[in-house]
Amino acid sequence: MTEPTLTVAVIDPSRARAAILEEGLTAAGFTHVVVLPDTADLSARVAALNPDVVVIHLESPSRDILEQMSGLSRHVERPVAMFVDRSDVPMMQAAMDAGISAYVVDGLQPQRIRSILDVAILRFNAFARLQRELSEARGELADRKLIERAKGILMTARGLSEEEAYRMMRRKAMNEKRKIADIARAIVTAADLLG
Amino acid sequence: MRLALGYVPLIDAAPLIAAVEGGFAAAEGLAIDLISEPSWATLRDKLALGHLDGAHMLAPLALASALGISGPQTDLAVPLGLNLNGNAITVSRPLWAEMAPEADDLDTIARAFSRVARVRVTQNRPLTLGTVHPYSNHTYQLRMFAARGGLDLDGAARMVVIPPPWIAEALRTGQIDGFCVGSPWNSVAVAEGYGRIAALGCELAPDCPEKVLALPAYAAAASAPLVRAVRRAGRWCAAPENQRELAGLLARPGHLGTDASLVRRALAGTVVVDPDGTERHAPRFVVFGAEAERPLPAHADWILAEMERAGQITPTPALVARARAMYRTDVYDAAG
Repeated sequence: MTEPTLTVAVIDPSRARAAILEEGLTAAGFTHVVVLPDTADLSARVAALNPDVVVIHLESPSRDILEQMSGLSRHVERPVAMFVDRSDVPMMQAAMDAGISAYVVDGLQPQRIRSILDVAILRFNAFARLQRELSEARGELADRKLIERAKGILMTARGLSEEEAYRMMRRKAMNEKRKIADIARAIVTAADLLG
Repeated sequence: MRLALGYVPLIDAAPLIAAVEGGFAAAEGLAIDLISEPSWATLRDKLALGHLDGAHMLAPLALASALGISGPQTDLAVPLGLNLNGNAITVSRPLWAEMAPEADDLDTIARAFSRVARVRVTQNRPLTLGTVHPYSNHTYQLRMFAARGGLDLDGAARMVVIPPPWIAEALRTGQIDGFCVGSPWNSVAVAEGYGRIAALGCELAPDCPEKVLALPAYAAAASAPLVRAVRRAGRWCAAPENQRELAGLLARPGHLGTDASLVRRALAGTVVVDPDGTERHAPRFVVFGAEAERPLPAHADWILAEMERAGQITPTPALVARARAMYRTDVYDAAG
């Protein structure tokens, strides 16, 4: 059972990723999750929210702002420290691979922060996978458009049917051990240059 | 050998960048992936967890990491210093107008600053000053600047950490009244018309050990090729005839992504301090090469003293011994 009374702040340069983590934490039973914008006045916002845990992406330049809250702890009421569980190196590595770091108020039980980090690691990895798939899908779409254009060029230039134009490119690609999209790109480039 | 080295995009990352771009690393048989990090905390943690094989690091942060007072405790070695100096303190134009120093020497300016800071405290609206990390010379230099004007900064001003790329904007919007940062960010604030450089780091703390090459301690023994490559690169950076080429290298979008002429002026020590064009010439504004490279345990002593003054540590003989042991003069000497 997770601890529902913790206040969790989420800071991430990517708003989409922050939203995904917020949703994941809420689903895991953390009722008070607040996404803070990654801006220079973060220090004041964190102080006003007074969270128990801050989950922050490693790529956020704001990490150094949080360092101040731990480095000069005599100036804040609730000292904040970076969460490091030396007894669980694989989990720390997994968090870093996923791009996560966490700051927690002094005295918070490691077990309570673990469940938050587990959710964050799962969500961030899922987000990275989605992004990869999206960029692959975009690439495939662009390839298909390129192949269509190259097919049209061959059909006009050589008087071929659509089927024959495609087969010609495929044969060329197989002979040269290249991707059909590469052959298509060469045809389109050549056609552009030759007018 | 392939190595991943982290850096924060600042002028004093020059020896690492030049080691790679100038072929010094390749000449030692090293293939180096330079990884630009968005924050000192991320750089420190990646070094701690083995995601980086070495890094361009704030000398006090390397020490704090090794002592376990900043992030996970990590046994680090410093086989090479990268540079001395390079920081400056910039104040907002409204604060400069309020200070209205009668002369342009450091003591007069520091006294004017301290006077305004005291007035602001009595008005219950203390000055807010930006630094780059709690464990940085920038933090200590702000304290020195106030002390020079007879003021203890503790309780007399708010200190906040702001990532350098945001610092000029924070000054413009009045979130902070002044800051201490490395090159080229002071010049950026002046060039954009929001700031006035009040003091150069090299006048506050002459020959201040600024950035070091930090490695995991276990890697120090086998680090001779890297130490040689970065040392040669540092000497190349120090030669005035290379400044134009170096400024071009550093200004590239993949590194600092800034105006090459600002970088070049910083390298030459010709700093425009006021939006009206007033120039200062400080030959030791930032120092690379032979004078900066030897990792002296005395640097650890100096940093520990500043940490103690800032209330960050209470030195014990054991702590001092650990700090001094991080500076590996033996590795530097053996690298040849």
